[in-house]
Amino acid sequence: MKRSVLIGSGLLAVALVPGALPAAEGPTPWLHVRVEEPGRSSRVHVNLPLPVVEVALKAAPQALESHGHIFGHDGKGFTVSDFRRMWGELKKAGDTELVSVEDQDENVRVARRGAVVEVKIDRKGKEAVKVEVPVEVVDALLSGEGDELNVRAALAQLQKRRGDIVRVNDENSTVRIWIDEQS
Amino acid sequence: MVKLLAVLSVPATLVAAVASLGVAVVDVREGGPDGHHIVVPVPLALVQTALAFAPEEKVRVKLDRAAKHLPLAREVLEALAAGPDGELVRVEEPGEQVVITKVGDTLRVHVHDGNDDVTVNVPIPLAMAAIPDSEGRIPMVNLAGALGGVRFTDLVDVRSGNDHVKVYVF
Repeated sequence: MKRSVLIGSGLLAVALVPGALPAAEGPTPWLHVRVEEPGRSSRVHVNLPLPVVEVALKAAPQALESHGHIFGHDGKGFTVSDFRRMWGELKKAGDTELVSVEDQDENVRVARRGAVVEVKIDRKGKEAVKVEVPVEVVDALLSGEGDELNVRAALAQLQKRRGDIVRVNDENSTVRIWIDEQS
Repeated sequence: MVKLLAVLSVPATLVAAVASLGVAVVDVREGGPDGHHIVVPVPLALVQTALAFAPEEKVRVKLDRAAKHLPLAREVLEALAAGPDGELVRVEEPGEQVVITKVGDTLRVHVHDGNDDVTVNVPIPLAMAAIPDSEGRIPMVNLAGALGGVRFTDLVDVRSGNDHVKVYVF
């Protein structure tokens, strides 16, 4: 009896090994998006495995390379090439404030802090928007040619990122986008 | 007695054979004291045969610009199928809730709206088999084949007030 139980357990273990192997590759990163409007008691939660996002965004690069302008519109603003050149120079400066716009009600600051580029918008002294983009993601995004943004390379870099990417705290709503390894 | 057994064994064997190949059941229960209970069992083999012989022109969809996104749709479904289980989408508003969850190779869509609850289980292989080709033809033979893999699945469950409709395959 004991012998057959042992043989059975052994066979079960062998059968389970192939199933356990993918776990050794590490957990799948998940992209989470939370949009909440407490005033309307409305919540939208989207959780997607990052490999699915990567596949779904295969259609995105076409849209991104068609205009070539990343700030401004109607032919005004920086082109991707301009921004790539500027980024190359700014990177050499290390931790620094890249942009600072101060208005009566709103302050916008773009700064490099260690491994991230931080965009912060404060409204009436309160943090309204905070975006953190890892430097490697910007590098990867700008690794394309001409006016092309390399979205695929940026996504590959994002796979390594864990934690918040975007936080928006509006008067009526909050938005949070982050990556972790939990569904 | 032997004769009776022999006679009864023919329909019993037929029923067993049909059941072993799978049966899709539509079960409708009307609420209230006079509510009807209608059960329509359809042998899966019959559905599969009908699908396989469906005229090509009747199962063609007009794609236009969607055609170029079909390979992407297939890849997204493949990536979803290969990915881990979990809650993919949750939308909540007062009195309304939509939840999409991946469980195994099935996408479970649950919608709650006031007194109504709708649950639809979409087997991912079935959804992939239903994606039309570049000319808009739905590959019915593939679809028929994929239907064989949805046995023991509750496909649709709708509760509206006291009414209850279920579509399942066993």
